[in-house]
Amino acid sequence: MRVFITAIFIIINFLMQSTVLHYIEIRGVIPNTTIILVVSYALLRGSTEGAIVGFFTGLLQDIFFGTSIGYFTLFNIITGYLFGRGNHDFYRENYILPMMLCAVAVFLYETIIYIISFLFRGQLNFIYILSNTLLPETVYSCIFTIPLYRILFGTNEWLELKEKYKYRLF
Amino acid sequence: MEFFEEHKKQIMLATIAILIVVIFITYGRKTKATFVESALGFVITPVQELTTNVGNWFGSKIDWVRNKDNLATENEQLKEQIALLEAENKRLRKYGTENQRLSELLKISQKYADYHTTGTQIIAKDPGNWYDVFLINKGRDDGLEANMVLTSSNGLVGKIIESGDTYSKALSILDSRSSVPAMSQRTEDLGVVKGEYSLMNSGLCRMEYIDSEAEIMEGDEIVTSHLSDVYPPGIAIGRVKEIRTEANGLTKYAIIEPYVDFKHLDTLLVIGDILQQNTQEEAQ
Repeated sequence: MRVFITAIFIIINFLMQSTVLHYIEIRGVIPNTTIILVVSYALLRGSTEGAIVGFFTGLLQDIFFGTSIGYFTLFNIITGYLFGRGNHDFYRENYILPMMLCAVAVFLYETIIYIISFLFRGQLNFIYILSNTLLPETVYSCIFTIPLYRILFGTNEWLELKEKYKYRLF
Repeated sequence: MEFFEEHKKQIMLATIAILIVVIFITYGRKTKATFVESALGFVITPVQELTTNVGNWFGSKIDWVRNKDNLATENEQLKEQIALLEAENKRLRKYGTENQRLSELLKISQKYADYHTTGTQIIAKDPGNWYDVFLINKGRDDGLEANMVLTSSNGLVGKIIESGDTYSKALSILDSRSSVPAMSQRTEDLGVVKGEYSLMNSGLCRMEYIDSEAEIMEGDEIVTSHLSDVYPPGIAIGRVKEIRTEANGLTKYAIIEPYVDFKHLDTLLVIGDILQQNTQEEAQ
């Protein structure tokens, strides 16, 4: 059940991000919902599931839009793993922390992609990219985190309740 | 499961190492999608097509409501323009037949041959903000292959970089990884049209390696040159918007404004059978 719902989330996210989200782009920037999904899963379920979700979201993006298999997969796995490390240390009902962490994740992720695939090819105008891509995308993603995290959190609660009954955990 | 939890770090490191190797193995060499990718595409791309069409439908309705008042005046203007263009078209067709006759007389092959074209539609765009890659709804089943060229009715759009059975992945000329050998129509000065990230969102690109002595000017028309294996010569790209000299003083570069409006692309033409035709002509 959990696997099935997670797969549906991953596919819907990919479909939305590659088609409909382009209609609401602001100055050519769309929110990075993939990272929101990966970080939310990592925060709700821990680093293993974060890494697994990261693997499949990245693989989809690589197959359909990348030039080599494994590029986005690698970054998404690392994001899922690192942000899942602290999932025992905070209250998941809180909304501020997921928002902050998603913003941090999007910013770091895009900065690393910039360094690896643009800086090394001679694109040195970091200030332009900072003000035209990185910061708008971070803010836009941060706002998008609220509804998405609400949906994922609700689904997770429902699934955990079902699993409790199923495995008679109490 | 316990095994996984215990050796989490080792498994992570192993996966990362494997992925890095896979990245280097697969980088840039794939022109055909594998069976698994094609199968995935068979499932995913129809849904993308559907969502894109729904989005386009809403977009067109919103546009209609917004532009309702201007439509009548625009219609009249367009009719006038059609009349003008038709007259021009007739004149040009006469030139075309004359050209053909003369070149037959001189026994030289036509410079700008006719190509077989297939219509296709954009169904999805790159989900990130860095690149300009998109998917189109035809693939190997319709005879499309990597390195075929995509145009719209106005000019060059890009080329196919990978083809699956029912979909193809294409790279637009605005993408920072794209480069197109080009020349200015008027002066025949050569250069290379490259995408650049900082120009991508405003829909512009850059023509590099222009000789500093070249007489290229603002407003010149840029077309694809004869130097490319991929792009057939004579496809319109855009107009020169600005010319600057590079810091080294030896070459110039130009900012190009493509004829194609990349924000509102929908249906495209795929130009195929280029190599076959050329070789046939050479054989003849």
